[in-house]
Amino acid sequence: MRPFTYEVPSSIQEATSRGGADAAFIAGGTTIVDLMKLEVMNPSRLVDVNPLPMLGIQMREDGLRIGALEKMSDVAEHPEVVANYPVISEALLQSASAQIRNMASIGGNLLQRTRCGYFRDVFTPCNKREPGTGCSAIDGENRMHAILGTSSSCIATHPSDLAVALVALDASIYIQNGAEERVMNLDDFYLVPGETPDHENQLRPGELITAVRVPRLLWARRSTYLKIRDRESYEFALTSAALALDLNGDTIRDVRIAVGGVGTKPWNLPEVRQALAGKPLKPETFAAAAKLAVNGANPLRHNGFKVDLVQRTIVRALMNLGGLA
Amino acid sequence: MSTQIIGKPQDRVDGRLKVTGRAMYSGDRQEENLTYGYLLTSKVAKGLIQAMDTSVAERSPGVAAVYTPFNPLKLYHGLEPPEGATSGETLPPLQDQKILNYGQIIGLVVAESYEQARDAAALVRTQYQAEEPVASWEQGIEHTFTPESVDREKATVKILAEGVDSIDDAIRGSPLVVDVTYTEPIYHHNPMEPHATTAVWHGDRLTIYDATQGVISHRLNVASVLGIDEDMVRVLCPFVGGAFGCKGSMWMFSPLTAAAARALNRPVKTILTREQMFTLVGHRPALIQHLTLGANPDGTLQAVKHDVRSTVSFAKIFVEAAAHRTSRLLYKSPNIQVSHTLVRWNVGGPTFMRAPGCAPGMFSLECAMDELAVRCGIDPVELRTKNDAEVYPGRNVPWSCKNLVECYQLGAEKFGWSKRNSIPGAVQEGDWLVGMGMASALYPAHRNRASAKVRFQADGTAQVSSATQDLGTGTWTVLAMVGADSLGLPIAKIHTELGDSALPSAPTSGGSASVASVTPAIQKAAESAKKKLIQLAIRDRKSPFFGAKIEDVSYRNGELTGAGKSADFGSVLSGIGRSAVEAVEMAAAGEEEEKYAFHSFGAQFCQVKVNRWTGEVRLQRMTSVMDIGTVVNLKTARSQIMGGIVFGIGMALMEGTILEEKTGRYANANFADYLIATNADVPYIDIHFINKPDTIFNPLGARGIGEIGITGTPAAIANAVYNATGRRVREFPILPEKLLPIGANQPMISMSERS
Repeated sequence: MRPFTYEVPSSIQEATSRGGADAAFIAGGTTIVDLMKLEVMNPSRLVDVNPLPMLGIQMREDGLRIGALEKMSDVAEHPEVVANYPVISEALLQSASAQIRNMASIGGNLLQRTRCGYFRDVFTPCNKREPGTGCSAIDGENRMHAILGTSSSCIATHPSDLAVALVALDASIYIQNGAEERVMNLDDFYLVPGETPDHENQLRPGELITAVRVPRLLWARRSTYLKIRDRESYEFALTSAALALDLNGDTIRDVRIAVGGVGTKPWNLPEVRQALAGKPLKPETFAAAAKLAVNGANPLRHNGFKVDLVQRTIVRALMNLGGLA
Repeated sequence: MSTQIIGKPQDRVDGRLKVTGRAMYSGDRQEENLTYGYLLTSKVAKGLIQAMDTSVAERSPGVAAVYTPFNPLKLYHGLEPPEGATSGETLPPLQDQKILNYGQIIGLVVAESYEQARDAAALVRTQYQAEEPVASWEQGIEHTFTPESVDREKATVKILAEGVDSIDDAIRGSPLVVDVTYTEPIYHHNPMEPHATTAVWHGDRLTIYDATQGVISHRLNVASVLGIDEDMVRVLCPFVGGAFGCKGSMWMFSPLTAAAARALNRPVKTILTREQMFTLVGHRPALIQHLTLGANPDGTLQAVKHDVRSTVSFAKIFVEAAAHRTSRLLYKSPNIQVSHTLVRWNVGGPTFMRAPGCAPGMFSLECAMDELAVRCGIDPVELRTKNDAEVYPGRNVPWSCKNLVECYQLGAEKFGWSKRNSIPGAVQEGDWLVGMGMASALYPAHRNRASAKVRFQADGTAQVSSATQDLGTGTWTVLAMVGADSLGLPIAKIHTELGDSALPSAPTSGGSASVASVTPAIQKAAESAKKKLIQLAIRDRKSPFFGAKIEDVSYRNGELTGAGKSADFGSVLSGIGRSAVEAVEMAAAGEEEEKYAFHSFGAQFCQVKVNRWTGEVRLQRMTSVMDIGTVVNLKTARSQIMGGIVFGIGMALMEGTILEEKTGRYANANFADYLIATNADVPYIDIHFINKPDTIFNPLGARGIGEIGITGTPAAIANAVYNATGRRVREFPILPEKLLPIGANQPMISMSERS
């Protein structure tokens, strides 16, 4: 860990003015402190956003609003979230451990860095950590890595479960910069690595995520998050699926679906949605649609199984949620 | 001996200290003027260090010294076994520039705080002349050799029936043959408490607080590496936060820390990071096991051939005796051959890990037996019962106390084995395929020479002391229990001392031998102490028993009785003005070792579910029946078996260290990427004990219990996965992708084709 200063701003505006390329915001600290100890991130200033007014979980006319400082555990257990968006609650409850969920904020969850072991080891080349040094994972150990949205520069998987659920639900985030506030669709917010894997999203230095908005979607009451992992708790996804299903008898009226564990960003699947809409609720339909999820997949030596597994994950989620299992 | 508390569930005597944070572990040690060491480790697996730039680190705040091969501390070559007993490694660090494995010690930074040492360490720049390491089975072919001995026998042990020329002839002559190969990755112990050493010099006397399984062995080995007399060293370790074998040897960071403390004339404390725990303190080597079983159609074994290849480092030999400790002896067969070869890799030194030999060996043997059961169309329990060995193969001696068939029977009954459907994939619960599997458990019973002291004190309490260790296993409690029963006193009256090399000598706590070794010495010392107490009582004028004949005075439950009088030992001692009377005794195994074989046995049953879509394996329940002689403390005994089983769950389903072939770097050397079982992965475990005292083995009748729980568990799980899915996974761990696609006979749509 390198020496740093610790600052506590008294307003959001002050916080964003204190932000910058040499600074990092700290909320729950469950990612940043780890990465500072590993010297993967070396901000010279830490700006503590915890005292800022970015709390609240409210069901409004236009949907659900979650303050960026809300803890994962509080959101997961909130009655409005549990009732209206089970997929969000389930994604959170299957994330990390109880201790981490009690500390980690929603804003921080969306901005957590990849778990790629090379990114986290400063003694190995990594284009995301140190642009231009190369990608160790492409020819290295890549069982946990992405098969979608990868490039020759980076194959690191986006780690957040919550982000997968939010992308499926077409959520947006509020971004504050000084006195200005902008709203951005979360799917658009995340970037695929391309030639600049260090550039992970559209947040500019000093900008702060203040809240998340999830559009009202009555049929999201029938939604779920299915996470496949090597152990039953406290582990990142091999594959996951966030799914909401709108049924009309035995016909699928509409679907929202995104997958995790396979993409360099939370992987939204509009093609799968299109393929399922209006179709009968049948396993054959599911399998054909799930195939579209892996269009353009680029499997490597150890993660080839994800091509198959993510389709199975989608089908299993559809079977369960559709009541066919 | 009165047995008042042996066998009953007893709370840990050190439980309150532990849960209130007052148990001082080695890393907790505070000293005046303390400095902190942080190890520098190699970032290549093979080659030479060309240069190290320490100038920035040396100027970094709080730094006292930076030691490297270019500014070394003098250390000597360590003692080789058997002289050094369990010495983990013998090559001292910093004495040359050679690199033999990734993560090898290449320096030590000492600073005023841990953080300053760590942060300065990050500022050291090292240049290497790197070479391509040997880090795979293929690369290791050129570095393959045969060990001189394996588990005190030849590298190849042949037991052939009369007229049979070779094991292969016996296999060819068998009507049914199972021929299978199993592979396992490197596994790491990963105790919760990392290794730690605090070294304090008082003049030329050294006190070391170390996280070790053996204070006596550690003293000898540290002294030899430092080049001083072992009498000048005292090692203290009252508490250990888990060890599993990786604290059973001395590792070089400990004498290095002591050497730095000597050079700086200040105490130094070094605590390993989790990452360093992967490369500096041993691991279970990777294995390839080839097993061939020949049998008659009724399942009677005709031939058992088990060949093992295991990895070692370029600096150290350790043999993971997976065949010699299992197939060599578990089943009756007219023809048995076990053999072992070693392959050198550029990795840190391998070492014993919970149930060395038996844990991996029983995985392959017990999976192969399951395959044989299927081949013969015989129930797996019946197959094992049929091949139960009455005598130790090749030696023709019986076991001191073997009840394995009873384990099978009781386990089958408690588990409900009769409800198992033997057709793979036949049982389904929703999306989950359900299967049941079983396996035998096995671990040798060891007993080593040990000494103990028992001391009656004037305040009415008694002290039990031995230089043994409590690895978190419950030794504190067991010593107190045995002391209490030996003296007929309540456990609250017993004070226990352990984890101090100044106490009467005891062996390293490994091989599940502590209770078996130390308790006979306590019992013996208790009897001697009673005699001394009586002698004192009849000789001192101030004693109520003065002048009585020795045979007229007896000790019982803390009271001396005789010559019409009765008094408790505390008042007798007080009355004559003595603070205490004590006796030290040594106990060791005798000639019974020639006449018997000593093992613990058991049977493991488990039920798993496997998701038919996505292939995850989850345990639903386990039943374990253990034949481990006398159960001393029912509560900690259950915990030991449960802990072993949890280890086995990890071994079967998720654990495994990933070695990068090209770099020799471990890709998952941390707790985020090296998965161990969480609570959610562990089902209800139903544990039963046969509880027949093995008094041929030792007076208490207790064999060790710390390791056997892991044995058989991985095989029972793998066999249950087969029963659930029809899939044999012979490469551990059983990850979801190894089960996909699940058999075409399953009621699922085809998902196997790739788009």
